[in-house]
Amino acid sequence: MSVNRWLATGNYFTTYKEEQRIFYTSLDRIFCVFFLTTLFIWPFFMELDSKDMLVIDNILVAVIAILGLNLVTGFAGLISVGHAAFVGVGAYTVACLSRIIGDQHVLITHAWPLMIMFSGFVGAIFGGIVGLPALRLKHLYLVMATLSFQMIFEWTIGFMDFFNQGQTIFVGRVFWFTGQVGRKEHYLFWYYALLVVVVLCGFAVRNLLRTRYGRCLVAVRDNDRAADAMGMHPGFTKVYAFALAGFFAGIAGAMHAYLYRGVGMESFTLHESIQYLAMTIVGGLGSLTGSFFGPAAIKILDLQVENLAEWAVTFLPSGMNLATALRPLSFGLVIVLFLIFEPRGIANWWRILRSYVKLWPFRY
Amino acid sequence: MSYFFQLVVSGIVVGSIYALSAIGFVLIYKSSRVLNLAHGQIIATGAFITYSLTVTAHIPIYLSFLMSMIITFFLAMSVEKIFLRRLIGEPIISVIMVTIGLMSIIDGLIYLTPFGSENFSFPPFLPQQPIVYAGISISYTQLVGVIITFILIGLFSWFFKKSTVGISMRAVSDDQLASMSIGVSVPRVFGLAWATAGLSAAAAGSVIGNITGLNFSTLHAFGIIVFPVVILGGLDSLLGAVVAGIIMGLIQQFASGYLDGNFGLYGTAQVLPYILLLVLLLFKPHGLFGTHEIERV
Repeated sequence: MSVNRWLATGNYFTTYKEEQRIFYTSLDRIFCVFFLTTLFIWPFFMELDSKDMLVIDNILVAVIAILGLNLVTGFAGLISVGHAAFVGVGAYTVACLSRIIGDQHVLITHAWPLMIMFSGFVGAIFGGIVGLPALRLKHLYLVMATLSFQMIFEWTIGFMDFFNQGQTIFVGRVFWFTGQVGRKEHYLFWYYALLVVVVLCGFAVRNLLRTRYGRCLVAVRDNDRAADAMGMHPGFTKVYAFALAGFFAGIAGAMHAYLYRGVGMESFTLHESIQYLAMTIVGGLGSLTGSFFGPAAIKILDLQVENLAEWAVTFLPSGMNLATALRPLSFGLVIVLFLIFEPRGIANWWRILRSYVKLWPFRY
Repeated sequence: MSYFFQLVVSGIVVGSIYALSAIGFVLIYKSSRVLNLAHGQIIATGAFITYSLTVTAHIPIYLSFLMSMIITFFLAMSVEKIFLRRLIGEPIISVIMVTIGLMSIIDGLIYLTPFGSENFSFPPFLPQQPIVYAGISISYTQLVGVIITFILIGLFSWFFKKSTVGISMRAVSDDQLASMSIGVSVPRVFGLAWATAGLSAAAAGSVIGNITGLNFSTLHAFGIIVFPVVILGGLDSLLGAVVAGIIMGLIQQFASGYLDGNFGLYGTAQVLPYILLLVLLLFKPHGLFGTHEIERV
């Protein structure tokens, strides 16, 4: 049966190879290319001030981190409450090197793509170490391992002089082929850099899930004994999931360090870890599109909550910091409500919308 | 030598409070296999309720101690009913994530009150002079705290071993299906486990509040230190929680007594439990008294 590649209304896979395609229909491919082109060219038509640009950059950094967290929590089914610490490992890799060799050293300012990769590998090493208990234990205990890594990380940064006791460590401005990236184009430059990394990471994850290693993750999540019987090693798979999560987190951390041109403790606390978890849950556990929706939704919510707090402070007695109260409150509520009412997250809404459009004049 | 014994005494004081905090956590884990990450927040809530009853409503402290335990009992029960009852039958991973959400919600609610940012201390109701014996001093507050803690631990163990509710809790923890078939209401047992955990958490919070003063980040830290304690004790053993609590208290006191200031280290008491936790997970994951899980296909 020949299949219309433009308007397929269902799945007509006859081989596994077909099911593993990146794009199922040509429409998907065209849509993806169109969407990416839009993302790359919109800054030419629209001028945003640096504050809004920073928000978008922040979302992209979070997307990279969430791609990792979704691998470990969504696909491999292990809760990680220390993801901010892994992001912190990446950020502090850049920061420490810039402290040792000086923040204007050529390695920091010119070889920054190398630095970002390097931070990813450092993050992967830490992720693998924290994931080691998975060799013997089931997922429950890994919550403890990640939590204790978060606490150890916070202590190490907060108490060691080498890490400036959690105060900001500066990272120099980077150079591009056209010279030093100045203050004006800083956020725009990093928008493009982040976008490229996000696209690369997104395709990497999509491809990973098509390979046997990616399918191993899902198999171990769904039933680790059955996976064991099929010849996979559940323990190694989990350790490897943690290492991958650490890799993405490390990259996100290094980009964060360059974006803010400095690293401070406050971006890597337990609250941030919970925020990352909220992003994953809201986006949709175990869904690649969810990794993009989640950070966007939570960062926008965060912004709205801050605006609300600023607005409400005018009515309230002074001296109250409403934002510190409302932020955890809203993230917690979002986590709980999504888990109870929509455990598959925004990605599920997206799926429903797509199938609605696909079938459009007809319905079930 | 008296320095050593001083550290032992304060280690036991801190450790017994850890034990009391850990008991609530173990209760919930034992009955429903849920790791309650919001336990520290329940401890803090209990402490703040005691404080408001004592200072704002002028109720005598012993009475407000009891009242706070009762209030937290019902609070924890309703938390279970509102949030966790809906998730029975869902994968355990989403239940744990709901408790992470709860942790964040209660954090936010506490930050809305003055307790979130300011320090408070209970009005003194015991003699301020510490008891000094052979160079070792212990304050009356600490002594009373330890006594209350051990009485409560004794009561909980009795409750588990002998009372009908306690026995049904143990039955549910052993086999849900079997206990249902002999007429134990499993949802009710879950609710009661949360409620009892809330009660013990309120007691722990009030004792901590009296000894160290009320500070949200301190109480919060007490909630997180529960995790190394229960892993050391074995996650589903009440006796383990008590023994491990005291061991952890001693480790922390010795660390801050002997390590801090030497070798360029300080604040080691805050990090050693977590390093111990990671090492334990690698080499002795079932702790001192935990049951080894045996899986049959």
